[in-house]
Amino acid sequence: MASPCEVLVECDRAAQARELIAIAQREAERIEHKFSRYRDDNIVHQINSGGERISVDEETSRLLDFAQNCYDLSDGCFDITSGILRHAWRFGNGARIPGQRDIDRLLPRIGWEKVIWKKPELTVPQGMEIDFGGIGKEYAVDSALGLLARETDYSVMVNFGGDCSASGPLADGAPWMTGIEDPRRPGDATAVIQLKGGALATSGDVFKYIEQGGVRYGHILNPRTGWPNTESPLSVTVAAATCTEAGILSTLAMLQGQDAEPFLERQGVRYWCYR
Amino acid sequence: MQLSKKKVAGLLSAATCSLLGSAAQADENPWDVDSAILYYSETDRVMAIEPVISATKDLGDDASVSMKLVLDSLTGASASGAVPSTMVQTFTTPSGNSSYQVNPNETPLDDTFLDTRLSYSMNWETPIDRNNRRNLGFNVSKEYDFFSLSGNALWDHDSNQKNTTYSYGINVELDAIDPVGGAPRPLTAMLAQDKTSGTESRDIVDLLFGVTQVINRSSLFQVNLSLSEASGYMTDPYKFVSVVDVTGEPTSQLFESRPDSRSRQSLFGKYKKMFSNKDIFTISYRYMTDDWGIDSNTFDFSYRFNMKEGYFIEPHLRLYDQSAADFYRYFLTDSEPLPQYASADYRLGEMEATTVGVKFGREIAEQHVWSARLEQYVQNGDGSPDVAFGQLTQQDLYPDVDALILQFNYSFKW
Repeated sequence: MASPCEVLVECDRAAQARELIAIAQREAERIEHKFSRYRDDNIVHQINSGGERISVDEETSRLLDFAQNCYDLSDGCFDITSGILRHAWRFGNGARIPGQRDIDRLLPRIGWEKVIWKKPELTVPQGMEIDFGGIGKEYAVDSALGLLARETDYSVMVNFGGDCSASGPLADGAPWMTGIEDPRRPGDATAVIQLKGGALATSGDVFKYIEQGGVRYGHILNPRTGWPNTESPLSVTVAAATCTEAGILSTLAMLQGQDAEPFLERQGVRYWCYR
Repeated sequence: MQLSKKKVAGLLSAATCSLLGSAAQADENPWDVDSAILYYSETDRVMAIEPVISATKDLGDDASVSMKLVLDSLTGASASGAVPSTMVQTFTTPSGNSSYQVNPNETPLDDTFLDTRLSYSMNWETPIDRNNRRNLGFNVSKEYDFFSLSGNALWDHDSNQKNTTYSYGINVELDAIDPVGGAPRPLTAMLAQDKTSGTESRDIVDLLFGVTQVINRSSLFQVNLSLSEASGYMTDPYKFVSVVDVTGEPTSQLFESRPDSRSRQSLFGKYKKMFSNKDIFTISYRYMTDDWGIDSNTFDFSYRFNMKEGYFIEPHLRLYDQSAADFYRYFLTDSEPLPQYASADYRLGEMEATTVGVKFGREIAEQHVWSARLEQYVQNGDGSPDVAFGQLTQQDLYPDVDALILQFNYSFKW
């Protein structure tokens, strides 16, 4: 998951807690192994290796259906084919702002509508790629928590790199306490969220941006333009029933720029925006 | 409408539900269990009860493991190969310790026939890549006087966008046979009880090459070519060949003798079609030939009618015929020199067999089915062959086998 992952179990038997943690770890590793774009031995690699029709398994089918739903409901703002924009945008070491020509070269290779998805067969045109990076971590949180909830009645909290979900309140009815980092003061939790169940996901990264001429270019890119919304909040945290929903809503909010807050208000969810 | 003015949370919630909701089920990967009990009863002959339980577990990512346990218990009698006589005949049991008598004009049976077989097999199927799968497995089988161990490997290769599948398989089987009372020396007299102690062995290698072609969405065609090479102890230690005198009366019973190798080739073709109402028609044909001189043809037809509420009814017809092995003899005469090989085992004789039956069942849900199958099996050969003479012309030298097969089946997820 390329980020610190933790699993908290409220339980008085260490062996059982370890067992539960191992289940969550295996599930996280399984999902990462299966859906990571950085591997050459998984279904994503097969799909991306060149224009062929691929028959996919049930779980991949569900993720593709979900990606399609998100594409539809977001009018194309969420698009799992947009990962190739990384060829133009580089954050962190060697960060640079691409020229419009770099982006224009990539845009024709982006667009879920060009993909032929007819369950269980998927054809991604030559030169295009899919990438579950936008939902993988949140899906792993939900999936791991789902497995744990079936194994135990203890209260469990799964936190993969800040995206987290709790199975329910603690035994005495108290909520789990989760801190949200203020992007303006990294390492400092400014808000404490009480979670009696449900999930939190955050979009926006304190370090993954480029600032040039007083303009902040974040790493959440609009698949239709190839550019980030420079009016975006620094970070958006959303609370929802599942981590997957929270993650999509926070990402879509980032792309709304100035309209992030009204967008989230309209969704009727609890959120924390930092600007 | 601009996305910022749109309420997407509800739709998103529904989409997430179908993403995660079914995830919970898929992760559980229950065992698909198939249980059956088969009752087989030949008129006046063998009766068998065979419970079978098999289970397959989907391990995810197209990998699966399956296992099967079969318990076979046979009682009753089968024809020993000896010809009937107008007089009382006395036979020694395989152990050599006791004897039994066969009444005049009755087919001699080995009525001490009783055996229990336990067999267990396990297979793993794993994908190699998206167009290739491998299946590895083993089988262990144990009877009172028989032990068998085999290993198999199958490679399936999909091509033509998974419309064509090529299969390449190998099965290697090692058998150990410990005949009760020892292995009789071939074509020696029953009365001499000239037997070697110790274990006899046999090994069998089978190769399979198959092609399955999807013709369209509702039909497919399959062709398999198999080659089998067996070597070792192939004789049935409990079967006799009678030696008769000029009147056709048996003067002695010899233990049978078979070659110690057998090469078999078979060609199998199957066509399956599903109609728009989900009825399924299946037809198959197998041609088999071996270097013992047995050529056989098997035609098999079934048609599954689907009715309301998951009920189905499936008539079944199977037609079989085979030519006799070169060394098959109804009997030997005391005036001829002993051949190298001779067997009067009815299973090696020229015959025809017909199976007619029907299966009735109900599919309650996917992988949750019960069914009952009732079939009749009739096997005929030539009971009055031209070679018969003397008293033998009055006897039935190839009695029909008439069997009833009843099977109950229940499949479920566990």
